[in-house]
Amino acid sequence: MTETLDIDRGELEQVTGDLLARHCDVAHLRDRLEAGGAHAPALWWRLAETGLVSALVPAEFGGAGLEPAHLPGVLHATGYHALPEPLLETAVLAVTLLAAFPDHPDADARLGGIAEGSLLATVRFGDADRHVAFAADAHLVLDVAPDGAVTAYAADQLEVVPAAGVDPLRPVAAVIPHGAGDLLGTSPDVAAHVRDLAVAGAACQLAGAARRLLDLTVEYVADRHQFGRPVGSFQAVKHKIADVAVGVDMAEAAALGAFGAEDAHDRARRAASAKAYAGQAADRANVEALQLHGGIGFTWEHHLHVWLKRTMSLTAAHGTPAAHRRTLARDLLARIGEEE
Amino acid sequence: MTMISVAEFRAEVRAWLAEHVPAEPLPSWTDQAGFDQHRTWERTLFEGGYAAVDWPEEYGGRGAGLQHTIAFAEEYYRARAPERVNMGGLYLLGPVLMQYGTEEQRRRWIPDLLSCRTIWCQGFSEPGSGSDLASLRTRAVRDGDHYVVNGQKIWTSMGGFADWIFALVRTDPDAAKERKHAGITFLCIDLRTPGVEVRPLAMVDGTEGFAEVFFTDVHVPVENVVGEVDQGWKVAMSTLGFERGAVFGDHAKFSNDVAALAGLVAVRGLAEDSLALDELGRVLVETEVYRANVYRLAALAEAGGNLDSTASINKLYWTEMQHDIFATGLRLMAEDGAVVGDLAGLAGVDAVTADAWRDWHHRYWYARAAMIFGGTSEIQRNIISERVLGLPMEPRRS
Repeated sequence: MTETLDIDRGELEQVTGDLLARHCDVAHLRDRLEAGGAHAPALWWRLAETGLVSALVPAEFGGAGLEPAHLPGVLHATGYHALPEPLLETAVLAVTLLAAFPDHPDADARLGGIAEGSLLATVRFGDADRHVAFAADAHLVLDVAPDGAVTAYAADQLEVVPAAGVDPLRPVAAVIPHGAGDLLGTSPDVAAHVRDLAVAGAACQLAGAARRLLDLTVEYVADRHQFGRPVGSFQAVKHKIADVAVGVDMAEAAALGAFGAEDAHDRARRAASAKAYAGQAADRANVEALQLHGGIGFTWEHHLHVWLKRTMSLTAAHGTPAAHRRTLARDLLARIGEEE
Repeated sequence: MTMISVAEFRAEVRAWLAEHVPAEPLPSWTDQAGFDQHRTWERTLFEGGYAAVDWPEEYGGRGAGLQHTIAFAEEYYRARAPERVNMGGLYLLGPVLMQYGTEEQRRRWIPDLLSCRTIWCQGFSEPGSGSDLASLRTRAVRDGDHYVVNGQKIWTSMGGFADWIFALVRTDPDAAKERKHAGITFLCIDLRTPGVEVRPLAMVDGTEGFAEVFFTDVHVPVENVVGEVDQGWKVAMSTLGFERGAVFGDHAKFSNDVAALAGLVAVRGLAEDSLALDELGRVLVETEVYRANVYRLAALAEAGGNLDSTASINKLYWTEMQHDIFATGLRLMAEDGAVVGDLAGLAGVDAVTADAWRDWHHRYWYARAAMIFGGTSEIQRNIISERVLGLPMEPRRS
């Protein structure tokens, strides 16, 4: 199915959006919530079949060999549809790490397994992550240490302790390795690259989830009548929504733009900015969406909470807005110091 | 411009700026002497061929594409070249003339506009017509080959330094009974015409340049009408579109401002203060996001996309960002934030930081103005919610 990916970014985004609208609709999400588990093998197979899971896998390992820059629209769609699958973790982060060490004896089996859809993987940034997304479903956890050492742990080489994450459709767990694991190699550049991909990828997902909150809210306030007219015709309501719209739109600009950097420094700066801003914008969207949905938004029956929780989960993941702001500020102060 | 790559153009611009940008920053343009020095600089820029690189060559531009235009601006601000002072002409009237003007009008006004021989200001607002612009009352009555104009414009930026004004006037008062946007005409008026009186209006910080303009039986040739008579609202909306939309490359100006803010953090000894780092980080994020938006809009425009629906989002965003930058600076400077332009007594102040702080309050007030001019933030929110998102209209009393 790799030939289906010989298409441009826009088409890829379109294909993903269509697929998720059909197979990851509210009914599917409800179904997963009731089942008490996020990952559904049937949906994952569908993603693999379409070629989305193998998009970044190098051709010699059975993938399409695309660049991460092809995928921001796809990741945005995963947020928009609240996909309860580790597409970012497996198809972007794990693939990039595994492909960085192509001479490892298991590279073929692992990348091939991901490409065909039989292997789920996730990534733990050892110094930062107490909670790893989709760890309970993963067959493989890749640990990225602060010094750039990348270690693979099979599911039976670690203990996974599920946490009561706010978003049941993006489950998180503590990961405690037994023993040394399988060292793929050590590369600070690879580690930095994948860390930035995680940050930028989460920013895309956040922007997508925030866009969904905006769309749901626009739809609701146009429909809901009070005092004999749609509540969306009241300026007090409109202005809140306009502010949310500006945030979402600019978050998209930053998140999609985070994949277009020219050098490592610019890449880190764009990723951190995008994640910090998307977190802020999503927080605003979250607050106003629930406020403007009124009582109905507070019910389990309405599906708004899926995206309220997804934005909370993603805002906390891969560096909070505050953490990124401080990092960026320190970096700027250091650069100014150098210029003088 | 297809002959030269972005990288080559960037190198050319960088070399030219290195040679020509004044070593000492120019004094602020907010008084006549400072303004005149900026005008001289604009002339230098024009002679170098850099006054408006994105304009077609036949009007004195370089026919540069958006990537080249962005590269020019990034180099311009990197070199800390002087602020541009003919915004009304370069960013508003010039593009409007290219869209709606006659060939004769373009030949007549564009060269002087580009060289800054003529400074233009915008005559839209009136004492009774701010956000409700279409309620404007300045009258222009046809009399043979000219119009006779009576009325008043107010809050005119650069009015005190300008030579010409492009104004909205009412040419058909009867049409307004049906629809107040009808019967308005876009008219260019030489401010030296008898009957024009420009009264300086000191700004909130006491600086000059702001004005109100009175018209008493002012005779204006009919050939000064831009677009069709009575159809000026369309031209005005196009002007406001340019005012609100992206100026490709101005993100680099805001990046300079944030670098200056970092300088303030450093001289205040706040480099390890987590609240200060958070504030600095926030505005840095805002400018980085704006940079991403400029790149995105440029890509969209190059692909033939329409940017109309992005203008209000852009304006609301950049004006709030700009305010955040300057307000944050005032806050971080604590008690020194209430002292205008003076960093004496603070250790470790470098020239760039001192220079930035000299104009900081003025830039702060300008940021406050920007949330009002070109359509207030509230008007932008109305446009975004109704025209971009399609929310139901607010019932309006007729």
